[in-house]
Amino acid sequence: MIIEIAAQGGFGGIPAASLHKTIDLADQPEQMRQELSDAFEPVELARLASQPCGPDADRMTYRITVTEDRQSHSFTLKEQQIPPDMLDLIDQM
Amino acid sequence: MCLSLCGSRHHPIACIVPPYMLRVLVLRGEPKIADMARTLLKQTEKLRDERAELTRAGLPPAQPLSGAFAATAVSPAEGLCCPDRRIHDGQHRAALPGRLVRSEGEGPTGIPDADTAYDAAGQVFSLFAEEYGRNSLDGEGMPLTATVHHRRDYNNAFWNGEQMAYGTGDGKVFRTFLELSVIGHEMAHGVIQFSGGLIYENQSGALNESIADVFGALSQQRALGQEIHKADWLIGRGILGPGINGTALRSMKAPGTAYSDSMLGQDPQPWHMDHFVTTTDDNGGVHINSGIPNHAFYLFCSYLGGRSWELPGRIWYRALQTLNNPMASFSDWADQTMDSAIELAGRGSIETVMLRRAWKLVGIAI
Repeated sequence: MIIEIAAQGGFGGIPAASLHKTIDLADQPEQMRQELSDAFEPVELARLASQPCGPDADRMTYRITVTEDRQSHSFTLKEQQIPPDMLDLIDQM
Repeated sequence: MCLSLCGSRHHPIACIVPPYMLRVLVLRGEPKIADMARTLLKQTEKLRDERAELTRAGLPPAQPLSGAFAATAVSPAEGLCCPDRRIHDGQHRAALPGRLVRSEGEGPTGIPDADTAYDAAGQVFSLFAEEYGRNSLDGEGMPLTATVHHRRDYNNAFWNGEQMAYGTGDGKVFRTFLELSVIGHEMAHGVIQFSGGLIYENQSGALNESIADVFGALSQQRALGQEIHKADWLIGRGILGPGINGTALRSMKAPGTAYSDSMLGQDPQPWHMDHFVTTTDDNGGVHINSGIPNHAFYLFCSYLGGRSWELPGRIWYRALQTLNNPMASFSDWADQTMDSAIELAGRGSIETVMLRRAWKLVGIAI
């Protein structure tokens, strides 16, 4: 599974300052691989993307693309739709 | 909120179709359509009343104030006294609010970010309380909760509807977010939310951003005791990374000139409607087009001289309290500031002439 994350928005509003990460789970240690594959399961991402979200002021927007078995799924999530544990995972990636 | 992009609990059509279109449908639509429009109009009016009720706190008196330079834009709130600050350490994780490190009245923690957040929250509280008679962000004395060290290498600061959160920056693009104009900006988002709100996209979103910048700048200038011509009118001075060619994130005096860097590019803010940026990024360019109303405020202040947080600040604050239009355009906002200026400085006063001139110079006729 390959996970690509591109963020935009935030207080600065500077596109070039935005986060952009791509990781291949095959390169990750076993424990991290399991955590990531659970958290970034397309069904779970779709559920999060459909959840209501609070105020938007200065929040980031994440475009997450998961590629597995030559199939790609893309989701757009507001920062406030992503659980804290998953944000911590994104920061560790 | 009704008009938010997600999580609406109200009838979506009532939120999307503006009232003036509904009124046209009542008059000209076929009987079924006219009935539907009539029902939706009633719902819209009810919603407006609910919103007005929610935002009663901190509202100006119903009777217009008379005479030039009325002392305050609003009646001071009952029991207005002291802030209730609660500063937390997020310990570089995303869960909010994190570990409480300093409550109201406690001494410094020795954690520089936490102590800056505490002191700055007090200065912003004092601006709204002493100058505009507002008791905290909601007008009812809500605690000022903030989290520092939010997430790891996080290049952002935000207001989440309940509290402020500040990252440390990654040390390259941003070195910190604990700076008074930034803190004032985030807290002003709270004030805007509890004043009826401005939908965070396109022109109303850029107004939300601009009003946050205005009160961020006023917090800074008031704390420094700086008059209008001495101030730098920068938002986020010194927060960019050491290798970045730039002095700040935004400039209200000269939008588009805050930074010019090989990695970040050029500050994209316009100062005139001729250069309004149409984009789907950044919620429709909310951090870009805010340069236009930002510059109008700066021009107005520079024409008047003196202290920005006094009459100009009172006019902007009063306009925010009386706007009652979450989808306001730049033009709607300019009209609202003129109404406030007439109430506070008098019809035909030099201040209203200068305000009209400031808006005209950025391409907005009122």
